[in-house]
Amino acid sequence: MTILSLTRRSFAAMTLAGTVAALSGAAFGQTSGEPVLIGVSGPLTGPQAQYGAQWKQGFDLALDKINAEGGINGRPLQYVFQDSQNDPRQSIAIAQKFISDPKIVVEVGDFSSTASMAASPLYQRGRLVQFGFTNSHPDFTKTGDYMWSNTVPQTQEQPLMADFATKTLGLKRLAVLHLNTDWGTTAKNLFVDAAKANGAEVVATEGYLPDEKDFRATLTRVRAANPDGIILESYYADGALIVRQLRDLGIDLPVVATGSVYSPDFLSLAGDAAEGVYTTVYFTPNSPRPEVREFVEGFEKKFGQEPNSFNAMAYDTINTLAAVMRQYGTTREDIKSGLGQISGFSSVIFPDVSFDPETRRVSGPQMTGLVVRDGAFTLYEQ
Amino acid sequence: MESLLSLPWFDFTISGVVIGSIYALMAVGLALIFGVANLINFAHGSVFTVGSYIGWTCAVALGLPLWATVLVVAAAGGIVGALIELLAIRPLNHQSRIAPLLATIGVGLILDQIVHIIFGANPRALPVSLPNLRFSIGSGTIGAIDITIFVTGVISALALYLFLFHSKLGMAVRATAQDGDAARQMGVGINAINMTVFGIAGALGAIAGLLVGIYYNSIDPNASFEIMLKGMVAIVIGGMSNVPGAIGGGLILGLIESYGIALFGASYRDLFAFAVLLLMLLLRPNGLFARAHAREAEPMTGTFVTRAKPVRIPAWALVAGAVLIALVPALGQPYLTQVMTNALLYALAAMSLTLVAGTLGLISIGHAALLAVGAYASALLTMAGLPVALGLVLAAAITAVLGAALTYPAFRLRGHYVAIGTLAIGEIVALVILNWTSLTHGSMGLYGIPPLELFGIPLFSTNASYWFVLALVIVFALLQMRLLSSHLGRTWRAIREDTIAAETYGVASNYYKGLAFGFAGFVAGISGAVSAHQFSYINYDTFNLLTSVLILTIVILGGLGNVTGAIVAAIIVAGLPEVFRTLAEYRMLFYGMALLLLIRFRPQGLMGSD
Repeated sequence: MTILSLTRRSFAAMTLAGTVAALSGAAFGQTSGEPVLIGVSGPLTGPQAQYGAQWKQGFDLALDKINAEGGINGRPLQYVFQDSQNDPRQSIAIAQKFISDPKIVVEVGDFSSTASMAASPLYQRGRLVQFGFTNSHPDFTKTGDYMWSNTVPQTQEQPLMADFATKTLGLKRLAVLHLNTDWGTTAKNLFVDAAKANGAEVVATEGYLPDEKDFRATLTRVRAANPDGIILESYYADGALIVRQLRDLGIDLPVVATGSVYSPDFLSLAGDAAEGVYTTVYFTPNSPRPEVREFVEGFEKKFGQEPNSFNAMAYDTINTLAAVMRQYGTTREDIKSGLGQISGFSSVIFPDVSFDPETRRVSGPQMTGLVVRDGAFTLYEQ
Repeated sequence: MESLLSLPWFDFTISGVVIGSIYALMAVGLALIFGVANLINFAHGSVFTVGSYIGWTCAVALGLPLWATVLVVAAAGGIVGALIELLAIRPLNHQSRIAPLLATIGVGLILDQIVHIIFGANPRALPVSLPNLRFSIGSGTIGAIDITIFVTGVISALALYLFLFHSKLGMAVRATAQDGDAARQMGVGINAINMTVFGIAGALGAIAGLLVGIYYNSIDPNASFEIMLKGMVAIVIGGMSNVPGAIGGGLILGLIESYGIALFGASYRDLFAFAVLLLMLLLRPNGLFARAHAREAEPMTGTFVTRAKPVRIPAWALVAGAVLIALVPALGQPYLTQVMTNALLYALAAMSLTLVAGTLGLISIGHAALLAVGAYASALLTMAGLPVALGLVLAAAITAVLGAALTYPAFRLRGHYVAIGTLAIGEIVALVILNWTSLTHGSMGLYGIPPLELFGIPLFSTNASYWFVLALVIVFALLQMRLLSSHLGRTWRAIREDTIAAETYGVASNYYKGLAFGFAGFVAGISGAVSAHQFSYINYDTFNLLTSVLILTIVILGGLGNVTGAIVAAIIVAGLPEVFRTLAEYRMLFYGMALLLLIRFRPQGLMGSD
């Protein structure tokens, strides 16, 4: 009886592993056994669908590498992507699904704070780590000790950007345009505080809605405040619209944009107007670090395009989780305690990944200043 | 206040004219269709998007010259427009006026989703080499493309005006618009006329998509609704079917937005647009340019409610159904239970909407605003220390009062105008939540909303919250059915069938409409409030326009006015996409198709309207 059920169970496990491998089409020459499953909750349809697509690219590249190197101690690593449309109603249903599925060992996502934080209480009660990598909302990890994030916290990013604008570029009178979302508003507040502490003056702040396309009137208002530099807390699509219309209005001030404009799409959307735009990033494919070279070359080979920072964050997330699992084990509790201990692992974005066990946020990003020259992002040198 | 005068008003005027000419170009097509079909074409924004992507395919992917691109885009837009008329509008000829409007929403969803599937969601650049002419004006410049957009708008409006008023075919078009049956008797082929008009409007919309895409050097598949709304506001200002007026309306809207930004800042922009829309609907429904004593537009009597006997379900079956639903958690599938909780929260919202849209006949496309008010009220009250039970009840009461007060301006509107008016009210509520930072924390949203509990008993476990929501659904469903069978229900239906007749019989229609919105607000407020405690985090976008459209789809599916229908349909609409998760990419396509097919083949809904 015992023997029979054992056989049956292992047979089922083998079939399942076979199905997953067949579905993903990847080669699992060096891995065997039941896959280790990561649950992903994110947008595959709806207005934010492009981000889900970019996540997938980063995830798939990371999995290729991890599974070619023997997976998680011999077991293949896989993810299950559930489409939430970035909608809190759906992310909480997905949370129930993942929590009750014992094969899921850790959850990644969702995209926006609304969708992610609605699900947080469920993951906390269900004792499944919710690992956010696009969750810059300052309260995201505060729901409980199962919420972790490797998003570069804006508390670290914005002061570094303010230093770049006020100290490196020497700007004194700043006008700040920001997305009127939780992300953009937090960024704006942190930037303004840091810039003022550095002795600069903020002469205008303008929030705009995410679906805004026309900025002429807003920029006319900004010009009337007589700034000597323009700060953009924008994503790449709206950032591109703003710099184009700036140039149309004949405003020729230096523009410093947050790292989210760092994307080839920003250059194609903004065209000539992108010339001279500054940005500060924690990821650049130009970096000579070997982790970055490996990622960029692998990405260009697999997808035929240059990676952006969403790709890099997605790639980093899976690699970081794999490192934790290899070192500390693959149960849900192993992953939770492992995240608090990991050190000595070097990822694309962080030379040394480590989390503060109190805030459960990553620490110590490095910032690089870039400027657009001849239609390409180049390292800024004074 | 000296700074007010020193603002660069001339530059703001130029900015307003530049964006206003984009609105005007959209508005011309909308006005043309409204003039002929008496219909606001919600799919016009999607034709715009289709045009921009066909333009991209020609100019960038195939490398065609600009003149060829324009021709292909115009032809393709014309075909799409004509197909919309043939497939979605013509079959609804003999249904109520609101049916084609809902059908165009469905077509819009479908077109957007097709673009999405083919081209992906990333915005794309649309670099087209135009003569690099820039003219200095004020302290800025305008380029060749700005002028092209403006001139295209004006020329097409003039050409259409001449066509409508100085050609024989144009006369036939106007005759069709005034009285289709009479025109047909005079030998006018009204189907061909309508199709031609939709084709022309489609070509215009597609060219607008191309030109605006070139102007911004950016096209994206999510732009449809926003640009359509602005075009709609423009034709309301210019007079719904007044083609030259649409140009004026677009420019005026652009100027109002630009001056609004000058005075108050960018995040108030849409608030101005929708406030203007509402004011125009109330004060000058015929538009700014109508002659003082212009003929009032014929009131659209009757509603979408199609006469059909509601399916009467015996009491024992209802009880059995309720018991079965109550046993869902016994299956031991928390995911399923959570999906069902969502479905029941939608059911509450749908019961609320089916009362105003079905029983009272006021189709609302802004119902999510009531959920938002309830959610914010309960969240703020309980975060200030009130117990959750009290928060829920107070939030519902606040939503009832605010719901009736907010929609009061829409009470005197009829037909399409109610739909547009409620849409505007819904957007205004969301924008006030966004901008009233001191109360609502603006774009940061509310975080840390206490979980559900009643008098110290925690209800936040998956099963407990499910049963709690189910209990709410049952209580309010019974209450609503009781109300419908009372004199109140009869009065509401009388107002729906013929408001003037009802008033002649001494029914104070506004009072009864207020009562209905009060009850509906209470139920929707509870639904929103419970959602807030479940999510623990909400922001201005948690209950958005898509939520409103989804609730309306549920209500139509269930049968307008039918309470059990609303519950059954909510379970289907919220549950089916979960069942078909593997079809994730096609989910919105599925909603759009469902809406379209229902209106076409079963306008009375699954359970019949009541």
